[in-house]
Amino acid sequence: MLTGRTALLPRQLHPGAWWLWALGLVAAATRTLNPLLLLLILAAAAYVVTARRTDAPWARSFAVFFKLALVVLAVRFVAQVLLGVAAGETVLVTLPQLPLPDWAAGVAVGGAVTLESVVAAFTDGLQLATILACIGAANALANPKRLLAAVPAALYEVGVAVVVALSFAPSLVTSVQRIRAARRLRGRPDRGLRSLVSVALPVLEEALERSIALAASMDSRGYGRRAEVSAATRRLTGTSTLLGLLGIAVGIYGVLDATSPPVLGLPTLLAGLVLAGGGLVLGGRRAVRTRYRPDPWTAPEWITAGSGLAAAVLVIVGGVIAPEALAPSTHPLVVPPLPLLPTVGVLLALLPAWLTPPPELLVRDVRRERAVAATSTSTKVGT
Amino acid sequence: MSATSAAPPTSSSSPTDRPDRARSIAVRPRSAVALLLATAVGVAAFGWPLLADPGTGIAHLREAPLLFALLLPLVLAVVLAELSDDGIDAKAIAMLGVLTAVGAALRPLGTGIAGFEPVFFLLVLAGRVHGPGFGFVLGATTLFASALTTGGVGPWLPFQMLGAAWVGAGAGLLPRLRGRGELLLLAGYAAVAGLAYGVALNLSFWPFALGGETGLSFVAGDPVFDNLRRFLTFTLATSLGFDLPRAALTAALVLVTGRPLLRALRRAARRAAFDAPVEFSGDVRPGG
Repeated sequence: MLTGRTALLPRQLHPGAWWLWALGLVAAATRTLNPLLLLLILAAAAYVVTARRTDAPWARSFAVFFKLALVVLAVRFVAQVLLGVAAGETVLVTLPQLPLPDWAAGVAVGGAVTLESVVAAFTDGLQLATILACIGAANALANPKRLLAAVPAALYEVGVAVVVALSFAPSLVTSVQRIRAARRLRGRPDRGLRSLVSVALPVLEEALERSIALAASMDSRGYGRRAEVSAATRRLTGTSTLLGLLGIAVGIYGVLDATSPPVLGLPTLLAGLVLAGGGLVLGGRRAVRTRYRPDPWTAPEWITAGSGLAAAVLVIVGGVIAPEALAPSTHPLVVPPLPLLPTVGVLLALLPAWLTPPPELLVRDVRRERAVAATSTSTKVGT
Repeated sequence: MSATSAAPPTSSSSPTDRPDRARSIAVRPRSAVALLLATAVGVAAFGWPLLADPGTGIAHLREAPLLFALLLPLVLAVVLAELSDDGIDAKAIAMLGVLTAVGAALRPLGTGIAGFEPVFFLLVLAGRVHGPGFGFVLGATTLFASALTTGGVGPWLPFQMLGAAWVGAGAGLLPRLRGRGELLLLAGYAAVAGLAYGVALNLSFWPFALGGETGLSFVAGDPVFDNLRRFLTFTLATSLGFDLPRAALTAALVLVTGRPLLRALRRAARRAAFDAPVEFSGDVRPGG
């Protein structure tokens, strides 16, 4: 496409690109209550996931998130029917009212259920469900281990701890299995609440034992090497971090408090964010990182992140041009229109399904087919 | 393992006045200020539906929870970077990693068995043994690792991480007691912390959970008292029935199994000798 064949060689896309793409779709979904657009966003996310997911365990999370989204939709629907304040005239059914004690004043259980309020609850729930599905798409597409490699350098130590945890988890499972097997061999119970402690304790002991061995091996391999950082830089890091946090804290409470001067609100918050981010960048100077196995950020990553951003921008612009198309009235009910600009935006978010390199799985299949074809022709030639 | 073999000559804390506690991640005054500020931001992020003035723009902003979900990761990152600015030595990293793995492995059990929250159980004990700094970081990493392994990264994650970090740090700040008193204290704390965590997370997704049209919903711009009453009714109606038995069970578990687990954690901490001053001298002393 843009950069020729090499750009589409099979590889896993930078996880950050998938997250930016999904966050763009989330931003688009938060700006609209139009059920047609929401369903379109949902469909776009689902299509890209089916086109570009691997068979890794995290790739299943789209289905999990989708089920969660359905649960959210159902909870909201039931809450609206049972506890909702009915709006509109089209009464579908009238439920018996449940008398409640005084402290629950304002809560009414039962009563009339109107089409208008049910539709409003449905679109509201659909919006949340769409947001959940988009996040599920990012979870399914982005490799969490490579995402961990992208944590800021200032979080190096904490990142190492999480990497240790992720790589240690499998041996924890074998440790549990071994200790339970040992208990079975001794004729002791190995399941149930009673054996919990007598299995858990040896597992924990062994884990702690391993941590000390691991620390020794990390020490002997030179963990903890740090770059030279001048005292001035360290002071600047600390000051910028603390001032940034102070700015964020003051800014948040300024935003929440109507009586405070406006300067203490959003401007302080933004200044705090910049300072805190700067502190994070400066703090990263002490970490020495390897250049081994870099995650490239090339044209497909730009396309993916850009298509998510385009969806968000076009939906927001569409909302400025025609606000009623993005939030169709539910009282009175109208048939939701399909506004041009936001629709194009959401369709742009489909681009990663074709313009990104396929994950390895697909190519392996192709190769296998080719190999099968090659052997069959060679046998033909041979005979 | 000799104390002189530990690599980074950074740990400045001398053997502390509390010999029964390891300070694997020391909280310096600067980090303490950062923690307090982050806590203030966190309180606002959790409690904005109750704190926001009806007159402000944010009280009416539909995206407010998502904006907080984007803000909190930055705050968490800054605080974690600040806590590790002096460098965390390899023993603390390894301990953190292993306990994170155990916590992340315990977490799915909690969803299977109603009324059991094993993560807090470990978090409270480890925070108690290793101090508030370690407890804070462990809370955040446990929930993060668990979300990574289960593909559960979402807007709720920063809230969960901060909540669990508070639980771990709080366990490290509990007053000094030994024996039966300590177990009772930890059990009580585990129950209260678990309940508070449940209510706080309820609060963080309450504006999302129900539509704007029911009698239990968050109403943007309503007086704080009305919203508070609706929130309490919502908590009562949805989760308190799960939260209370869960808190009781966690407390009982701490009472029953706390002693051997604390002993195991303390022994490992002693063997790692976090508080031993690191010196690079010619003579090698016998191990720590």
